[in-house]
Amino acid sequence: MKVSIDWLREYIDFDCSLDTLADGLTMAGLEVEEVIKLSKEDFTRAGGSGTIDDIVFDSKVTPNRGDWLSMIGVAREAGPVVGGRVKMPNVKLDGSEPTSSDLIKIRIDDPDLCGRYVGIVVRNVEIKESPGWLKDRVIAAGMRPINNVVDITNFVMLELGQPLHAFDYNLLNDAQIVVRRAKPGETITSIDGNERRLEPDMLVIADSNRPVAIAGVMGGEDSEISRQTQDILIESANFNSVSIRRTSKRLGLVTESSYRFERGVDPSIAPLAAMRAAQLIHDLASGDVAKGIVDARPVPVEPLEIKVRPERVNLVLGTSITAENMARFLNSIDIETHLEDGILISQVPTFRPDITREIDMAEEVGRVYGYDKLDTTLPDVTLQGKDSPEGLFRNKIRRSLMACGAQEVLTHSMVEVKLAEIAGNANKAVSIRNPLSEELNSMRTMLAPNLLQVVARNQAYGTVNVSVFETGKVYFQGGSGRPDETLSVAGAMVGDLWRSNWSLPAEALQVDFFTCKGAVESLLGALNISGANYIPVEHPMLHPTRAAKVLVGDREIGILGEVVPAVSDALDVRGRAYIYELDFRALMELAPEMVIYQEPARYPALYRHMAVVVADDVKYAQLVELVIRSGKGLVEAVDMLDVYKGEQVGAGRRSLTLSVVFRSREKTLTDDEVNAVLGEIKEALAQKAGASFR
Amino acid sequence: MSGKDELVGIRTAALGKVQAAESSAQLDEIDTQYLGRKGELTLQLRRIGSLSQDERKDFGQSVNDIKAELSEAIAQRRQALDAGESKAKLAAEAVDVTLPGRFYQTGRPHILIETIEKIKRIFIGLGYEFVETPEIEDYKYNFEALNYPPEHPAMDEQMSFYINDDVLLRTHTTAYQHRVMPYRKPPMRVATIGKTYRYENVDATHGHTFHQVDCFAIDHDISLTDLKGTIQQFAVEMFGMDVNVRFRPDFFPFVEPGAEFAVTCFLCKGEGCGVCKGSGWLELGGAGLIHPNILEKAGIDSEEYTGFAFGFGIERMPMLEHGIKDLRLFMENDLRFLRQL
Repeated sequence: MKVSIDWLREYIDFDCSLDTLADGLTMAGLEVEEVIKLSKEDFTRAGGSGTIDDIVFDSKVTPNRGDWLSMIGVAREAGPVVGGRVKMPNVKLDGSEPTSSDLIKIRIDDPDLCGRYVGIVVRNVEIKESPGWLKDRVIAAGMRPINNVVDITNFVMLELGQPLHAFDYNLLNDAQIVVRRAKPGETITSIDGNERRLEPDMLVIADSNRPVAIAGVMGGEDSEISRQTQDILIESANFNSVSIRRTSKRLGLVTESSYRFERGVDPSIAPLAAMRAAQLIHDLASGDVAKGIVDARPVPVEPLEIKVRPERVNLVLGTSITAENMARFLNSIDIETHLEDGILISQVPTFRPDITREIDMAEEVGRVYGYDKLDTTLPDVTLQGKDSPEGLFRNKIRRSLMACGAQEVLTHSMVEVKLAEIAGNANKAVSIRNPLSEELNSMRTMLAPNLLQVVARNQAYGTVNVSVFETGKVYFQGGSGRPDETLSVAGAMVGDLWRSNWSLPAEALQVDFFTCKGAVESLLGALNISGANYIPVEHPMLHPTRAAKVLVGDREIGILGEVVPAVSDALDVRGRAYIYELDFRALMELAPEMVIYQEPARYPALYRHMAVVVADDVKYAQLVELVIRSGKGLVEAVDMLDVYKGEQVGAGRRSLTLSVVFRSREKTLTDDEVNAVLGEIKEALAQKAGASFR
Repeated sequence: MSGKDELVGIRTAALGKVQAAESSAQLDEIDTQYLGRKGELTLQLRRIGSLSQDERKDFGQSVNDIKAELSEAIAQRRQALDAGESKAKLAAEAVDVTLPGRFYQTGRPHILIETIEKIKRIFIGLGYEFVETPEIEDYKYNFEALNYPPEHPAMDEQMSFYINDDVLLRTHTTAYQHRVMPYRKPPMRVATIGKTYRYENVDATHGHTFHQVDCFAIDHDISLTDLKGTIQQFAVEMFGMDVNVRFRPDFFPFVEPGAEFAVTCFLCKGEGCGVCKGSGWLELGGAGLIHPNILEKAGIDSEEYTGFAFGFGIERMPMLEHGIKDLRLFMENDLRFLRQL
């Protein structure tokens, strides 16, 4: 709402500074966002008189306060700030015969959508340019002057908050107004020249046979005021907020009128606004005002009486304001209040439909008292705060992955559906019905594609070594139609492990499948999850022979591997990239809540290396299992030292050099004991894995 | 030449050699030459049989004295040589200490998550329990349960992304209130933090996705001053200085009375600067007493209990603190940006 200060002075006297006024209004909840200076030249340029300059408060009206969309509403709110009371405009009408009710018949067929319809007929008007002062007011409010009658309807709307409409009386069939829902198939050409299809729940103003206005939104071209107009009907009506909002949204048509009706217009102001407009048309367009008004009012609205307990108000505000002061505060904003047996009895005026119960009155008392005068206290009872289990676990994961050198990132949940296709989840992705753009039409089903986008972007910026991770939500279509969301952990890496690698061989630093697997193993280790198995897997994002799923027991908890070139290409990732993605909840369920300390072994370990030559399809994990199983309980650990393929071991075979750690928890082992066990291990490897030894 | 004279000659020669020795190996040779099993002094002892009874004792004593003296001299010389040798060895091992270190690439937390963690710690300290809440939310929780009248223009500020007529991406974390309130008994202090979504075009200060924290407390006699004090306590912890809180009436359907809150600008300490546009205040979020309609819907007696609720966006805090001008940097994940904070 643009509030002209020059205009505001017509409704309230004040001599405080404009800063004080702006602060006061802001602290009352009507935020003055900007103070605009309008010079004489500004007015001239906009078609105004060029005789005044003005200051305009551009103020933000909260959606509950339709009454602030008027000069009198703002003046009323300024009352307690400046110590004055709002002055309503003086309306004196001496109409002549025939009366308005002789000239127009008004019928409301749908009182649920129209509680009041006031009409006045003004005849023999002279449509012309408005006088300078009127144009200046309209301009200061941010509107455009059109002609005297249109400007007057806008002026009165700005002044009193009541949207008005002026019809060319002679273009209304049978001098009749019917307020009704549109009929199926009806259309109207609104004054912006667009033909609009009306739907049966839209309220229209019709004459005897056709709609002449979309109620509360916009008038029709057919009955519009023009240079030829002689007689006019002024409409000052009250329409249902929800209905106007629906119609306005459906038609994509927001007007000064619909904006006000959506926020609530005072039903009591309709007659005054109609008469105010008629008087101005009489004065400025030399019209003959018909005597009396037509006031169709199927749903009278009366002020609401609310009883307010002063002690309750003080309790919720945390104040100790006397009941007398409360009454004074409320009266200062025109909520008529008196004290009876210690209770405040208030008559809530019809321009304040936002006030319905005691708590609303407490806010009013607080606003006038001043929120800035409130103390600061703290609630008494001490409660123990805590993080969610997920929040605590997430921090464990984050610490571990950051320690592995991965940078934490945060990516968008709304993504292009292409990413779900890449993840092989196209049919499970949740779609956004009204996306901002095609790049944001779907909810992510995996984090890894997002992370690869992060990799690609960083590569484009010249950062070649990238290791990132994210913990966050992924979303899926649910069985019941309600989408599911769950937490996921993922990482992506490309390039070298470290920068500044001058003293190490380059190939040792390059991330590969095993770097990626190492991150997962480190994470599981940090979470005390043991016994993970890695099984080759097919996954749409992964290299067919460099991909694994991660199993703990029977439970599949995620995947890891090298990104298949087709996916790297689709996401503009350069070089070989590696990803992992794990199910957060599975990790959380598998991680032991409590870990019992194991005493470190007291006796020394003995180490044996052996080069095991086996067929290519024999997996390392099988060898380890055989070593442990045939190790008589003395094998503490098996480490991998080297893999060799070549002439010395023959085609189709490879040599794995293992380091086996032997240790007993009961005694110091001798070389002979260990050699004996090692012999049995080799025997088992030879028999069960076809191993030979180098 | 008498035996004695010979001894003196050996002594002089041996000690001379020890002093002249330049390496540990040379000392070893001297040791062998004089003190070894076939060493010259050892051989001298064997001559003892040819001496008279009187001479024997005296001669033996002399040989042993010289042997001890020589051993001592060798040991001393050896020590001196070792010190020099190891010094030389260390000197030969010099590195260029200005060469770059073998850099450990450690991961850093994302600045927004770090901020979220800090906010959580503060509210946990104030007795709030954090709960996990859905981002894909039912329309009824996002609006109806929060006292939004049907088709109310207040929803214009909460333009949403819809999955279908009944399901949307939550426009505020406040949507969780009715998921929690009916299932707990007062006193309660609960909070949630996470992503929220608004149908807004993206620019340097607007995003379709942003993060919010939302807290509420319900108890006997909770008042607006308790709310103000709680926010002040948070701000003091968050910004590490004495701050004041300013309340200004505002409207949110789920609170009554409702307020927008601002805290003393921590950059200029309230003096007025470019960041706070000269006002000395930073507007942070919305707050108020929980609307009795909401308490009643949750089965809580709104006469017996009152409550407050407040929420605010997260992004603004690190933006102000680190001078970040563009909101999009947070989710773009340029490592050159993330690794600075």
